[in-house]
Amino acid sequence: MTSPRVLVGRSAMKILLWRPAIWRGLLAAVLLATVWGGPLQAQDAKLVYTLYADGLACPFCAYGIEKQLFAIEGVAAVETDLKTGTVTITMRDGATLDEPVARTAVEAAGFTLRGFERAGGLE
Amino acid sequence: MTTRLACLYLACILATSWAAAARAAPESFNTALPVAEGEFVFREQFILDQSGADPSDADRDRTAWVLVSVLGYGANSDLALFGVVPYVDRSLDITQGSARRTRSASGLGDISVFGRYTVFRRDWPGRTLRVAPFAGLELPTGDDDETDSFGRLPASVQPGSGSWDPFGGVVLSYQTLDFEVDAQASYRANTKANDFEFGDVARLDGALQYRLWPRELGSGVPGFLYGVLEANLIHRDKDQVSGTNDPDSGGLSLFILPGLQYVTKRWIVETGVQIPVVQDLNGTALEKDTIFRAGFRLNF
Repeated sequence: MTSPRVLVGRSAMKILLWRPAIWRGLLAAVLLATVWGGPLQAQDAKLVYTLYADGLACPFCAYGIEKQLFAIEGVAAVETDLKTGTVTITMRDGATLDEPVARTAVEAAGFTLRGFERAGGLE
Repeated sequence: MTTRLACLYLACILATSWAAAARAAPESFNTALPVAEGEFVFREQFILDQSGADPSDADRDRTAWVLVSVLGYGANSDLALFGVVPYVDRSLDITQGSARRTRSASGLGDISVFGRYTVFRRDWPGRTLRVAPFAGLELPTGDDDETDSFGRLPASVQPGSGSWDPFGGVVLSYQTLDFEVDAQASYRANTKANDFEFGDVARLDGALQYRLWPRELGSGVPGFLYGVLEANLIHRDKDQVSGTNDPDSGGLSLFILPGLQYVTKRWIVETGVQIPVVQDLNGTALEKDTIFRAGFRLNF
């Protein structure tokens, strides 16, 4: 036998779930969160850059270029791929990398920057 | 003879070049050590130098081991400065009359300082070509007046020369992902100290490092195992004692060094044996048997 208190509760739930105004309100809240959340998410994205460095030809050389690039403010991670001659740079949240800054660092390591591209965000 | 040696040397250089094989720098000379701006490279090398094939009746047998510490610093992307600090232990067994004597000394040797400036650099994807002259000075920091119970030790046993010796040359490096070739031409003008002057030294050095493993490059920065083949053509002038040439000193030598290097991003371990191929020495100048080298390098 169902108690009166449970019956009242079930009725209240039915009213809430089937009233269209409530669904419309929920939908509006989700849309608002998406619109307002968009710019905030972009600000927090970790930007990733790919550098094409000419002259990179052995593991010992990779240390020099990684050290120079890691010293740039905002750089979170540096990863070299010898086979493709590329260096992937992941920035900290909200930080960006300018090509002239990257070029200076690559030159200081004793190599030549052939290409620079923004690969996209991780988040 | 000189022409034949030069041809043999060039053949060795060409052979190493054609054998096709990274920038880890040679084992038998320091001028090609790569160093980026604001970066240090440290090399420690143990060298065991044995000379025993004495054509004279003195039956000389000389053993020298040297611990060489090299520190390089990248002042900028083109200029690198180096300091070379040797610790030496030399011992000479010699028969004088009917007695066999051992004369030895050890201690800090002569420190060298030199600078290298890259005047030409051309980079391509996965390869690079650099040309850099260098110049330096060997300082008389080692003891040159060591004595034992028989008197003052000969100059060849003293830890230091006592003289200020300038040197210079040019080094060329060509490196790809598979191999590296280095070539160096240098000259050392030894000066006089204690009424003795070592002969000037002119040398041509060539080196090849060929990547043995991994055979196929994967992603990232894997460690490389290189096979090393180096050649050193060295000409020494005669030493001078009291202004007079010593007829039993100087001459031309050609060494070949087969070796191995394991190279990672932060460190290198290396070893090799220098074998004399040709020794066209003057008089009864003492020939080398073998020179063993082993060491490591660090980037920081």
